[in-house]
Amino acid sequence: MCLDDQILNTYLDNELAEPWKSQVEEHLSYCSACKERFEQLKALKQTLQSAALTDEEIAPRQENVLRMISNTRFNTKRASFLRRQFKISIPAFATIAAAFVFVFVGAILHINNGSGNDFIPAAMDSAVDETNVSLVSDAGPAKTIYEYSPSLEEVLDYLDSLGYTVSVTKKGVEPFTFD
Amino acid sequence: MEMRSGDEAAFRQVYEQVFPVVMRVAFHVTYNMDVSEDICQDAFIRFFDKNMVFQTMDDAKFWLIRVTKNLAINHVKRKAREAASMEKLKQVTPTSSYKDGASELLFQETTENVRKAVSQLSEKYKTVIVLKEYAGLDYQQIGKVLNISESNVKVRVHRARKELEALLGMEN
Repeated sequence: MCLDDQILNTYLDNELAEPWKSQVEEHLSYCSACKERFEQLKALKQTLQSAALTDEEIAPRQENVLRMISNTRFNTKRASFLRRQFKISIPAFATIAAAFVFVFVGAILHINNGSGNDFIPAAMDSAVDETNVSLVSDAGPAKTIYEYSPSLEEVLDYLDSLGYTVSVTKKGVEPFTFD
Repeated sequence: MEMRSGDEAAFRQVYEQVFPVVMRVAFHVTYNMDVSEDICQDAFIRFFDKNMVFQTMDDAKFWLIRVTKNLAINHVKRKAREAASMEKLKQVTPTSSYKDGASELLFQETTENVRKAVSQLSEKYKTVIVLKEYAGLDYQQIGKVLNISESNVKVRVHRARKELEALLGMEN
């Protein structure tokens, strides 16, 4: 009895266990029809394998993918950690910032719209008119030390009392002489 | 050897070993290099981000192959829905290391025919043949990835080859 294709394929793929393997080999040694069929199946397998993608074609792709994975997974472990931290911190930071802005804006609005008048002295609460407002200049010159003008005699007396000898000349006036 | 997929050293080890396999799986399902690269990137990023524990390197490999296969199949389905998949497949211009003009032409022709034939298989057979011929998995491993029995894998491989033989005009 000759061998069917399935047994020959299994033998071809080196998947046939003993004792069937030896029996097939023995049969092939004398049955030219089965031997021929086996050679055909072997040629088919070789033809299929000849169309396989070569190592040379695979190599650049292998480098591309590894480079991409290295960039996004290996080298950026620290970066991804930071990024994770950053991702976590964004909502927290936003919440704090929002709370801060809320408090500030709230305070400003409260001052301006609410009881903001507390900032103005109570005296100003009453009606402001000409009866309680007057120009400072109306009250006359202020008496400050810088505005005190002593007479020449007083200055000379004061200097004399301190022991100074003072001579006084009047500029731009010719001395009056009696010829 | 227990390993964690989110560990950089373990990831690099798996990547070095498994990337060519998953790239072949993605490519022989989609037959588009850029799409395959994107799919592999997606699969490995999921692998890393999920930070899963795998008992062996093979377990990690099977997980990656399963995810890649699913992403690739989904892509093909989506493209089929857009009724553009066949036109794109016809535009596949594979590169080769052959320098001789005649043999290069023959190689490209054969390669193109094979890829076209594989793309014409139903999802069930295509997956099995891609995992067998291009990912280098054995029946047991294919069964593990696809969650089907080993004998089921055996039957599917046999039927897929029968269909491919017809599609390629290699039947006796």
